[in-house]
Amino acid sequence: MKLTRRNFLAWAGLGAVGAVACEGFGIREGELNIQSPVQLPEDLVRGKDNWYASLCRTCPSCEGIVIRVMEGRAKMIQGNPFYPTNQGKIHARCESGLQSLYHPDRISSPMQRSGARSSAQFLPISWQPNGMDLLQTALQERGRSSVMITEPLRGHMSLLASRFSSAIGGEHLGFESIDNNTYRAAVKSVYGQDSMPDFDLENSQFILSFGADFLSTWVSPTRFNRGYGEFRQGEHRKRGMFYQIDSRFSMTAANADKWLPIKPGWEGHLALSLAQVIIAEGLQAPGVDVASLTGGDNLDNFRPELVVEKAGLTAEMTDGNAVEFVKNLARSFAASRPAVAIGGGSAGASSNGLFNLEAIYALNYLVGSVGEEGGVKLNPGSPWTDVPSSSKVGSLEDWIRITEQIRSGQTNLLLLHGADPVHGLPDSLHLRNAIEQADDLMIVSFSPFLDDTSAMADLILPDRVSLEDWGDDISEPGPGFQMVGFQQPVVNPLGDLDPLSFPDVLLTMAQELGKESQLPWSNFKNMLREGSDALFELNRGSIEASSAEEFWNNLLKRGGWWDENSTGSKYVQPTAGLLKSIAGKASDPDFSGIGMDTDSFYLVPFAHNTLMDGYNSHLPWLQSAPDPLSTVTWQTWVEVNDQTADRLELKEGDILRIESSKDFIKAVVYPTPAAPPDVMSVPFGQGRKHGSDYATDRSSNESSNVMDILETTQVEGTGSLAWAGTRVKVSKTGESVSISKLEGDARAVEIGLTPAEDIIKTIAPENA
Amino acid sequence: MVAGGVVTVIMGFVLVVLLISWFSNPPFGLGNAPAQPVAFPHTVHVADNNIQCEFCHRNVTKGASATVPAVETCLFCHQNIDGGSADSQVEIQKVRDAFDTDTPINWERVHRLPDHVRFIHEAHIRYFTDDDIPVKYGINGEELAETPDVALTCTICHGDVGNKVEVQPKTGQSLKMGTCLDCHRNNSVPTDCTVCHK
Repeated sequence: MKLTRRNFLAWAGLGAVGAVACEGFGIREGELNIQSPVQLPEDLVRGKDNWYASLCRTCPSCEGIVIRVMEGRAKMIQGNPFYPTNQGKIHARCESGLQSLYHPDRISSPMQRSGARSSAQFLPISWQPNGMDLLQTALQERGRSSVMITEPLRGHMSLLASRFSSAIGGEHLGFESIDNNTYRAAVKSVYGQDSMPDFDLENSQFILSFGADFLSTWVSPTRFNRGYGEFRQGEHRKRGMFYQIDSRFSMTAANADKWLPIKPGWEGHLALSLAQVIIAEGLQAPGVDVASLTGGDNLDNFRPELVVEKAGLTAEMTDGNAVEFVKNLARSFAASRPAVAIGGGSAGASSNGLFNLEAIYALNYLVGSVGEEGGVKLNPGSPWTDVPSSSKVGSLEDWIRITEQIRSGQTNLLLLHGADPVHGLPDSLHLRNAIEQADDLMIVSFSPFLDDTSAMADLILPDRVSLEDWGDDISEPGPGFQMVGFQQPVVNPLGDLDPLSFPDVLLTMAQELGKESQLPWSNFKNMLREGSDALFELNRGSIEASSAEEFWNNLLKRGGWWDENSTGSKYVQPTAGLLKSIAGKASDPDFSGIGMDTDSFYLVPFAHNTLMDGYNSHLPWLQSAPDPLSTVTWQTWVEVNDQTADRLELKEGDILRIESSKDFIKAVVYPTPAAPPDVMSVPFGQGRKHGSDYATDRSSNESSNVMDILETTQVEGTGSLAWAGTRVKVSKTGESVSISKLEGDARAVEIGLTPAEDIIKTIAPENA
Repeated sequence: MVAGGVVTVIMGFVLVVLLISWFSNPPFGLGNAPAQPVAFPHTVHVADNNIQCEFCHRNVTKGASATVPAVETCLFCHQNIDGGSADSQVEIQKVRDAFDTDTPINWERVHRLPDHVRFIHEAHIRYFTDDDIPVKYGINGEELAETPDVALTCTICHGDVGNKVEVQPKTGQSLKMGTCLDCHRNNSVPTDCTVCHK
């Protein structure tokens, strides 16, 4: 083709059109992109749910749970059916783990104090460089005079905290408002064991419990509820008999065949009285060496005739004859084998609490139930040589010492995690005052929530909550054999939160401070993995795997490891003269302060069913969960015998002023026929001054901390707080509020007053 | 002469459009396996670790689009899982960086249909996984021996993605109108225009 001017223009035009077409009809950049958004869309729930096994950290019993996760969000918590202690059941407290995760009052980032010590004013700072640098400087300059206060720790976290404290030259103490130190000491003294025992309730025929509210709050209530269900309704067995001897009508007392309201502090005397009857009438189990056990003391000083009046057991409450009642109780207890005696709670919380519990637990030797089926199941130690199975918790004696050290400047760095001692210790200790006046004191809190102690901190470095973090636990009490639970992160923190794992921060600091020799792990997960590898090397237990990696995966899938063949001792030889030795410690309970004036009352505080000692009081589900007996929610109530209420002209909802020699609080009156006439019972848990509105947004008429009025009486022999050792006077304030409860207005009355009602009375097996 | 030039221009234009339309779609040329911002190996996730398709493509059994996962979904695992090789660690770090810097990841689409076609993943998976339909036929007319699960259903159109390091269309498999019609006819599914066309 000849290139003419016309052809040139035609081809040029065609080329231009082609170029335009190529561009116009081609695929523009980005046209075929599909975008992964950064955050999950919250309004579009798709895909499949996943269930992850982990541990509940809402209370010290630390139950095995499974968490339903959809789209990276935890949706539901249920019991882990494989976990030996709770076997698929959980306490209401566990479910609130979700509220910790999504709580609107979570501390989102590190904060530094910007106002006066108690003003709770903070400014957000960054982790790097500010937060971590401030912590590092504090540890370098003040580590040797530091105290780390944590929740009761077991497993690797306990090892890490104690090694870290030791590495920086400080001290580590676990904190519990209502500690179990006296119970531990009694178990050590009577059974020679370091770990709390289990009680084989499911195979028992007779439960004799002194003060332990084991179906609601004491030690491991879910595990005990499971056993109790079998005790009452298990197949191929007859219904067991259960006596609760307690100065308060607790949920456990409400489930008993017989509740015996005893004067606070006299439980040990009654236990030895039962022992005296068993020995005198030769009712002990076959093979029990009574002569060795008593050491020649026939316990005549504890004959029922000498005890019942002091213990407040009247003819009215004991079917007409208190002495015969005690004797018959001893006979039934000894005859219904296997039988088990349990003691705890208020029975161990008076000045003679250690004596009380030792006397109670010694009863199990007489009926031959130590290490036996249906009795006391002793627990073995940790499967790891260096990891403690039992938490070390400070006693009141320790906290008095720490307070004094703060006041004198000997302690100038407090590291807090999972502990709120300002709220959880008696106000008369003046810890708050000591902190406020200590100019050189630095407090670093690792709490994800503001509480009364964190509000006084200089630096807050928020931890992850348990659903976002690694951990492990050696169950205490265990199920009678070795077991370890593992906790894994099932979700990431929400996008607007910036928490860092507390153990990881400690390990990072250890590296920065050159303490790798004591703490060689780069992060807590690696430390746990090392523990898993050590379990794999044992080559026994519930997890089968051909490699350490497979073992680790199966361990996390199952939620833990246990070895049913590695049990605690089956037989423990009691110390010669044990009963004589215990009887020698007998003393009357000390009620210093107001004393025993006739117009005063015993104050018997109790752990709140869901809030416990108050560390959970920022969780609205737990605030609104009704108390099992009174059904009260959100408020601090005082249980008053209805006849006493009539005498004092009190009605439901009145605000009562309750005063000890230390201070006073106010509480809402809840009259009930199920309260001893000389006892005022108030739950722990409320009265927080700082933090979430769910914990604080109520007047002092409705929310108060019973710790504020407790005497600082100590349990002889353990130095623990004798929290049931206070007497109080009460007076009307003239104010009244509507009590927040689910129960209707119909009064509770004793059943069995008419022949028609009599048919629903509990009938004791021997009378059936 | 002028008329011939105009015809040539028009024909050339149409030819260019057709060529671009045909070859720019897989599996016959351009864009069969486009470069992705993160070298995501389906082999590791699906074949090695048995992660279900729906875990990431969470809408695939529920709606029209299969959807790609949010970066946060990747971090469910990769918050803690670092990868076994240096190369994989580099790629995982890209995902973590995207999350930390709040930057979406723009993937390149591999399987695509024209804008005027309405394709609903949910309906197709529901059909193939329905045990009550006795006989079903695959995309090439082969009779399926048994009712497939979700993962196997995906392979009917997408091929064995789980064993591909780099995702590309099923070998020799066009996703053009003829393929759709053949499969609909084999399975006695309506072929009315409005079933597929918007």
